[in-house]
Amino acid sequence: MIAERLLVFSVGRELFALNLTEVCEVMEPQQSYPFAGAPPYYMGLINFHGNLTALLDFAQYLGAGSRPLPGKLLVIDTKLAHLALKVDAVGSIIDAQGITGATRSDDPLIEALLETPQGHLRLVRLETLLSSLEEDLRAAAPKSAPGGN
Amino acid sequence: MDMSQYKALFLSESREYLRSIAEQVVALEQSPAERGAIDALFRGAHSLKGMAASMEYGDVVVVAHSMEDLMARVRDGALPFGAGVADLLLEGVDLIDALLKDVEEERPSSVPTDGYPARLAAYVPPPEKKAKKTDEAPEVSSPAAEPAPAVESAQAAESVPTPSAETERAKESAPELGGTVRVKTELLDHLINLTGELVTNKQRLLSIGRDLASPALNDAVSETSKLLRALHDEVMKVRLMPFEAISDRFQRSVRAVAKKSGKEIHFELTGREIGLDRGVLEQLVDPLNHILRNAVDHGIEDGEERERAGKPARGLVKLSVSRDRDRIHITVRDDGRGMEPQAMIDAAVRKGLITPEEGELLSPRQALMLSCIPGFSTAKEVTDISGRGVGMDAVNAAIAKLGGTLGIESEPGQGTVITLKLPLTIAIIHALLVQCGPIKTAIPVNAVQRTVELSRRQIETVGKRQMFQLDDESIPLLSLNRVLGLPLGRFPDGILPLFVTEAKGRRVGMVVDRLLGQHELFVKRLGRPLDGVTGLAGGATLGDGEIVTILDISELL
Repeated sequence: MIAERLLVFSVGRELFALNLTEVCEVMEPQQSYPFAGAPPYYMGLINFHGNLTALLDFAQYLGAGSRPLPGKLLVIDTKLAHLALKVDAVGSIIDAQGITGATRSDDPLIEALLETPQGHLRLVRLETLLSSLEEDLRAAAPKSAPGGN
Repeated sequence: MDMSQYKALFLSESREYLRSIAEQVVALEQSPAERGAIDALFRGAHSLKGMAASMEYGDVVVVAHSMEDLMARVRDGALPFGAGVADLLLEGVDLIDALLKDVEEERPSSVPTDGYPARLAAYVPPPEKKAKKTDEAPEVSSPAAEPAPAVESAQAAESVPTPSAETERAKESAPELGGTVRVKTELLDHLINLTGELVTNKQRLLSIGRDLASPALNDAVSETSKLLRALHDEVMKVRLMPFEAISDRFQRSVRAVAKKSGKEIHFELTGREIGLDRGVLEQLVDPLNHILRNAVDHGIEDGEERERAGKPARGLVKLSVSRDRDRIHITVRDDGRGMEPQAMIDAAVRKGLITPEEGELLSPRQALMLSCIPGFSTAKEVTDISGRGVGMDAVNAAIAKLGGTLGIESEPGQGTVITLKLPLTIAIIHALLVQCGPIKTAIPVNAVQRTVELSRRQIETVGKRQMFQLDDESIPLLSLNRVLGLPLGRFPDGILPLFVTEAKGRRVGMVVDRLLGQHELFVKRLGRPLDGVTGLAGGATLGDGEIVTILDISELL
């Protein structure tokens, strides 16, 4: 079921949307600190109101390639995750009534392809994104290695 | 009348009553003649029934009422308090606990209670066994058979250490509300979070004060630091819960294992009043249960074997909790068969966990720690009581995760002592900060035995391994950079900074790019998707706002 209100954002010339209730804040980019054992699309950790939050370069995660834009950070609701997505730009909030058509997507990350006055939107399935990130982290986990330097 | 607003209070008070009842049952079983405890138990069941009736939880009322009736028979002398009565009461505690869970989750009762009242009403104790003529005093606890009421005799009083102090404490542990306020645990968590943030902010102010060289600002920050330290100590005190919040489970667990394995066990608990951080306490239940069950099932010999060894037939398992400044020491001591270091080494070699050459290098203490390697078990047979004997590695990992350490001492034939040393709190820790490539990361100091600056000349190559000598021990070297998948460091001056830690019972040297000193850190969980990542124990913010991850070295190695 599609949420009542969606937040529209862009990554690599594509428009995406998240359920508005899943996003708690849109921020300007801030300094992040790298951590070990993570795939390259993690930019590091940021401090979001005291919560240590993993910052994901969403364009790199999607394989869309980063654009030379300062971008924005979409912070996911802290009750759901400690995760922020760096995106190229954040658009408007749209009501579900504004959706003129919806089709299913073969991509498990995308809940639906939506037709709206703003254009075609890909509605991101957050739970699938989180599970997939967890799986990738398990695969990339540091492993013990014998021998010295 | 809408009673839902009282539900949380009812649940919390009922659980306190259940805990108190379970403790009193176990204590009474060891000292059945304690009149005061019998009365307290009766009152406990009665109060529970009254509270449930006022909330209209009929099933809880029925079970509590049956328990109250059974205790009335004991109180009136119509029924001796024995193992059978204890079993029925503990079954009632479990039943009510399950019913409370249904109440909490607002679902219809899923626990059948039909047969329980009838069984209690019809209960008659099994006929007493004819007492064995012996010079020893009568046992006050017998897990296998219904014990007779304690015999009043001067000789018995002298020779049997009755746990009357335990019973005294148990009967006094009925819940009291006077002068206390119930606070939601989320609020306490929030308080400690805010305090931690203030600690981090204090570091920032100190740093700014140094840059500005302002005496007035420095004085103000210094005063704020003192107040903050006092606030932190008070908040931590509020979060402390007495060990007894979890101890009833251990009494019951030991009792159940003893009964199942047909052993006679005297269980002693000291330090139940010692306070631990709620977060630490919650994580201690499973590891301690495992250690205690192991002690009863594998440590303590059966009665005949003990008597042949010149020991009393009844084994002793003692759980002690004490506080040493900001550390909690928990020991589990048994007077069982003990562990033989050489047998541990032989078993580890046989199972391919270590090579015979490695075995020769192990000290007795290191040999005992082999029991904490995954897959290690010296138990001759797997039992369904203490599991498959593979749990000590999980116990060790759980204790390390809490920032604690586990030590084993054992004397063959005399028994084993397992000591857990834990921080009072897991929220604020001391950690060694290190640099590995572009990453700054922290290692809790409890995992760091010492730091060393090693000259390349001191490194020996043994086979494929690089080793160095420390305290007459050959210690393998590992690169933390390599473990973390980071580029290896270069050491143009020929000096390798490293810290010594312990992995699988052996010391290892972890080489890093730079040692950055010790820091006080407020540990924060990382949340999804990072929590659960192997080797990451959390994160923290440094005084300058920089964020570092905290490593769980035992998980990484």
